[in-house]
Amino acid sequence: MELFASLFNAALLAIFLQNSIFERALGPNILIYASRKREHVIGFSLVIIYSTTLSSIIAWVLDRNFSSWEYFGIVTPLLYILVISFIYILSLILVWRFLPKVFGKIKTYVHLSVFNCSVLGALFLSSQFGESLIGYIGFGVGTGLGFFLAGYLLYIAHPRLNSELVPAAFRGLPITLVYIGIISLSLYAFVGYATR
Amino acid sequence: MNIPKTKARLTDGLVRQNIVLMSGLLIGPVIAGATDFESAAAISVVFSLVTFFSVAVCRLLPRRMVYTVRIIAYALIASALYIPAILACQFLLGEEVIVRAGIYLPILVINHVILSKTETRFFHLSYFQMLLDALGYIAGFVIVCLLTGIIRDILVNSAIGSLSIETGLSLPALETTFGGFILVGVLAGICRAIYNKLTMNNEQLAINKEPVGDDGNRPAEET
Repeated sequence: MELFASLFNAALLAIFLQNSIFERALGPNILIYASRKREHVIGFSLVIIYSTTLSSIIAWVLDRNFSSWEYFGIVTPLLYILVISFIYILSLILVWRFLPKVFGKIKTYVHLSVFNCSVLGALFLSSQFGESLIGYIGFGVGTGLGFFLAGYLLYIAHPRLNSELVPAAFRGLPITLVYIGIISLSLYAFVGYATR
Repeated sequence: MNIPKTKARLTDGLVRQNIVLMSGLLIGPVIAGATDFESAAAISVVFSLVTFFSVAVCRLLPRRMVYTVRIIAYALIASALYIPAILACQFLLGEEVIVRAGIYLPILVINHVILSKTETRFFHLSYFQMLLDALGYIAGFVIVCLLTGIIRDILVNSAIGSLSIETGLSLPALETTFGGFILVGVLAGICRAIYNKLTMNNEQLAINKEPVGDDGNRPAEET
């Protein structure tokens, strides 16, 4: 029960308080691309959940054993990229071998959904916030769910944000960023905001 | 050297395809990382060094290598080059600025100038043209990142770095992520409006400059 509570807490932290998009702005470009189609929102989110969760487990092993090393901070991106690449290549081989139909569907965007700031950033955030292996896993799952929440909110607003009602110069990217900013502002209610 | 072509290469990434304000390929570090001038400078230094040298090396990889493997190679090369880049940044700006910029420095190793533009654009150019093109993209990012950092520093801290500027105005919310999203969104809209206005004016100018026929009419537009 305690394990489940830790997992749930870490996931909630990643979904709301440290949301990869609304709070950390990790990969909004990928989110904007994915939010054009419902299948992409679901596909990207599932791939991100899968890669962040598995990568977090290996990242936990690395952090636990090497974090006391003086130069660990400098080589961490290289180590995390090696971890993500290993998961990516192994998973692609397995999907291609055993689920060829799924492979056909995801092959056009799988590289974008694995090699992006959301996945790499989630590993860095896990090392800051996830205290145990369960915390790392929970944070990995929560990052993907948080991405899905952001993607879905953007998907339902997509037609309006690109409609002729928006002035031409602001249509598309600028108004989408303002929209994400407003949702991000509303999520600040969870943590509160104090001026200095 | 073809000067107009060279100029076009540099200005393309700088304005028309600016990766922050026009195409939005790399906006996260500007929105959440460039909260003041010094953090923006750190992000700019690391991005410039990592991207320029990664693109220069990645372009040498054989094209017959499958994309699945090539994208891994791009990311690994960039993360290996991050090590000298962060040491250079530490030397130039100090340890404290790097700590303040946080995770927005290491995540620059996965940026779409390296992962996507190398594939879709740089591979189709000669090596020299590609370097110029990459410089244009890097300059475009650096200008917007520094501009965002300066605006936030002035409006939040009434300063630019260590230089104090008394504005009598304090907007601390601009330092937050939501403030960053709204600020960059507004900057993108203004940039696009100016760009659209200028290109429309240039098109109008080009039409006006077209030779007038003997009958006083301009030649018909090519379809």
